[in-house]
Amino acid sequence: MAEAKNSAVWKSILVLAVIALCSGLLLGFFNMITYVDPLQSAYDRFAEDTGASFSEMADEDGQSYDNGSVIYYAVSDDGEWNAFLVSGSGGYGGDVQVYLYFRGGVLEKLIVGENGETFLGNLESANYYDQFLGKDVSELEGLDVDFVSGATRSSTAIANAVDAAVQYWNEHVAGGNTNEQA
Amino acid sequence: MNRRKIKETVFGGLIRNNPTFVLVLGTCPTIAMTTSLAQAFAMGIATTFVLIFSNLFVSLLRNLIPDKVRIPCYIVIISTFVIIVQMVMRRFLPDLYATMQAFIALIVVNCIILARAESFASCNPPLYSALDGISMGLGFTGALCLIGIVREFFAGGSFAGFVIPGFPAMSGAGASAFGFITFGCMMALFNFVIQKIEARKARLKQASLPLSDGAGEVKA
Repeated sequence: MAEAKNSAVWKSILVLAVIALCSGLLLGFFNMITYVDPLQSAYDRFAEDTGASFSEMADEDGQSYDNGSVIYYAVSDDGEWNAFLVSGSGGYGGDVQVYLYFRGGVLEKLIVGENGETFLGNLESANYYDQFLGKDVSELEGLDVDFVSGATRSSTAIANAVDAAVQYWNEHVAGGNTNEQA
Repeated sequence: MNRRKIKETVFGGLIRNNPTFVLVLGTCPTIAMTTSLAQAFAMGIATTFVLIFSNLFVSLLRNLIPDKVRIPCYIVIISTFVIIVQMVMRRFLPDLYATMQAFIALIVVNCIILARAESFASCNPPLYSALDGISMGLGFTGALCLIGIVREFFAGGSFAGFVIPGFPAMSGAGASAFGFITFGCMMALFNFVIQKIEARKARLKQASLPLSDGAGEVKA
């Protein structure tokens, strides 16, 4: 009796393990086919969103701050655009990646990238992003934005992402723009 | 394969047991993903893909999986296919993926998929199960698209992304509350139509039975 019970337990474990192993192999195979190089995809995104060409990342390593981090930073070849891929923490589904494009020091475009948020539609319909657009870096610094009710944490994450870019700008771009270029 | 059973499976998923309007399963993606037709369609197709393959594999392994660990086994199978969908979308449709990433991951716990694995695939042969996956998935996609068309029309004044000139968009119509109202109205309408059709079929059947009997008697 006890033996029969034991063998049933072993069978359950074995079946579950085999299924898990097979699905792991399958996923590994698909990962190999669909792997995207994050650096390359950031280049593509920057070029697509601004219409300018980017041939070199000014910063591939990025920089972390308290509530967000700069993942990549690049200046377009004609020097017109400063493009950021930043990530802001505090979202409902983890970090939210945001693409930010500055032209002449003014935030021209804000595009939300990979995220785990479920209520980004609310931000869109409340025109949340318009609060950031068209402002220059000094205005964005410590900007008081109205969070969208029902999507407070998504709002927070995006504000944090913008903050990270502003901090980075003040530390690396504003004073040392010529250094970066050289 | 039995022809009648095939017909039953196909029409069951699409109409008689429509997962959204009749079984009322998977309401979370139904409300969240129907603000536009494109999103609703993408969500439906992604769910259909997962449903077909999870049904197929659960059915293939149904005699192998011990009863006590069947739910963990189903979940492992389902989540494998969900992650595959996620990877493929991330590679080939990055824009769409960014807007619905969280909901694609939530397909794992979509009740339609687990319900079909538990109630149909675990006791039917593989081909029927795959067919059931297709019809259930298409039933879900169709229902999502119908709600999506209505909601997009009222919220954005557009159809499949094309703005209809002269129609004012109502800003509140994109909210979840309006989604629930739309969902309820469509569900009522769907069931009303189905009931009418069934009642008519039953009447025709009843009307034809005594007639043929009577005719037979007269002849005899």
